This record gives sequence, C-alpha cells and structure tokens, in this order.
Amino acid sequence: MVVLSLFIMNKSGGLIYHRNFNSGLQSLSANDYLVLAGTFHGVHAITSLINPVNNTTEAGIRGGPPRGLEVMESEMFRMQCFQTLTGIKFLVFTEPGQPNVDVVCKKIYEIYADYVMKNPFYQIEMPIRCEQFDRELGKFLKGKQ
Amino acid sequence: MPIYSFYIFDRHCECIYKRQWLPRDQLLPRTPTTPNPPNTGDRRTSLAPSVALDAAANPAELRGRSGLSNKDDTKLVFGVIFSLRNMVRKLSGPEDNFISYRTPDYKLHYYETPTNLKFVMLSDVKTNNLRVVLHQIYVSLYVEYVVKNPLSRTIEHPKGKGVAVDLFEAGLDGFIKQIST
Repeated sequence: MVVLSLFIMNKSGGLIYHRNFNSGLQSLSANDYLVLAGTFHGVHAITSLINPVNNTTEAGIRGGPPRGLEVMESEMFRMQCFQTLTGIKFLVFTEPGQPNVDVVCKKIYEIYADYVMKNPFYQIEMPIRCEQFDRELGKFLKGKQ
Repeated sequence: MPIYSFYIFDRHCECIYKRQWLPRDQLLPRTPTTPNPPNTGDRRTSLAPSVALDAAANPAELRGRSGLSNKDDTKLVFGVIFSLRNMVRKLSGPEDNFISYRTPDYKLHYYETPTNLKFVMLSDVKTNNLRVVLHQIYVSLYVEYVVKNPLSRTIEHPKGKGVAVDLFEAGLDGFIKQIST
C-alpha cells in the first residue's frame, strides 16, 4: 500500500498535522495546505446536508456517527476521510483503487491516541509536534509498502 | 441500485437541468399528491408514481431534515463539486479530474465535458462508477436532442430553457431504468 500523504484536522477545520510520505501529489506552501483543509472542512459539512436519503428516524443526527464524505476518488488519487467521534479528521491520500484504507486510518488514530494524546506537553487542538509520533507513523507506513 | 437525482450545470455555474427520482423526505407522512406543474425546468418524478410530490403546492413537503428547500440543494451540490474539483486540481495538478465521492448514505458521480458542462448524479452507495453513464447521457442524449435541436436557437441555455425536451427526458428515463434494475 502506498500512502501519499496524511492530513490531520482538528474539529474546527484547522490543519494540525501534515506530512507527505511519497511523491505523487504536488507540494504546496503551508498556507495552501491550511486553505485546503479549511475548504474540505466546509465541504464535509455540506455533503451530509445534501443527503437524498432521509435518515431522521435513525440516531444519525446528533451524537451518532458522522455521516459526511468518506471516500473521494479522482483520476490520480483516492482520499479516505476518517472522522472520530470527537470531530478530528484524518485524511489519508493513497493511489486510486486502493482497498482497506479504513483499517490504516484506524491504526493511525491509534498511533495518534498513543503518542499525541498521551504526550503531556501536547496542547489540544494545536499543531502536532511530537517526534515520537513522527517516528511511529513512519515505521507503520513504511511497513505497509 | 437506486438513482436519487441528476443535475446538469453549465459553464456559468447555473443549473440548467435537474431531475429527482426519489423524494428526500420519502419517510415523512404525505399529503395527497397532485400532478407536477409542466412549466418548470426541474422536475421531481418517481419510478413509483405514488411518491411523486408537488413542489409548487407543498414547499414544506420538500424540505429535508435540515430545513433546506429544494432550490438550495442545487446550490449546495454545485458548491461541493466546485470545491472538490478545485481541491483535486490543486493537489495533483491541472490534468487530474474529480470522479466521485461517497458518504455512508449516498454516492455522488461527476463528469465534466471539455466545454465545462458538468453532469452530476446522486446514487445509492453500492453503485459502481457511473462516469461512463454520465458520458453516455452527454453523448447520446444531450448532444443528440438538446444541442442538435433545430428549434433551439441558443447555444447556451439560461435558466434551463431548451434542455427539458421530451426526447431528452424520455431517453434519460430509459437510461435510469436500465441502471436502476
């Protein structure tokens, strides 16, 4: 599995972590990445609004699992969005047609919980600067290739 | 695999054709239905006639859980595809194209012609890629019945004028029936 890039966004749409693992996507300026993350945050909210299937009977509005965009495909990449119940979004960019990316997302979430959330110096909602997290992430995604 | 709705946007970001097959509020209690007004460009029909709703008579009926009217829907759909298309182009270069996205409830398929005409279809989650179908609709229905229509004098279709031709709509219905079975 080739993971091209990883974005982590906090619940208000701010980009708190970004890393390219393989070439395949253009490298943009830090500001552009912030704008992209913000745009995606809005789009994600709208995609759950234009839902043509009415699910009011299900417990899917408040407190239920998020129902926004999950997978986006383009000709050159595939993006999987995993939103945690606390509103943090993990965007994993892979090559097109890649199966089982959701498993990778969950594993990245686990690494995040272990090495970011348990880091006593990490301030919540702020950009992630944790060496241990970088290392573990690199190790996990390298092993996947 | 049911198809929920279909939209065409022109290069001026305007929705020139819209069609919905299953009302988004199909689970709400219904009032007796009346036939659709024939003059509107956007129609709401259903494969099962009993669930067709009249947009003009019962605007409240057409509201989803979010309280959005039917018209706002189109704008939101356009906003989403526009943003995603730009995002994709920014991330992987101008020759990349956005194809589709999926949420837990529905899937949106997208096809853009070289003339910036945008075809969008909302379908069930389990549907395979409908890009080929959208291309087919463009080539064998839109071009044949709308572009080549000798009675339509304009090239552009402001406010959807001249798109909802009988032949086009009948062809579209046939197409949708084919894929929904």
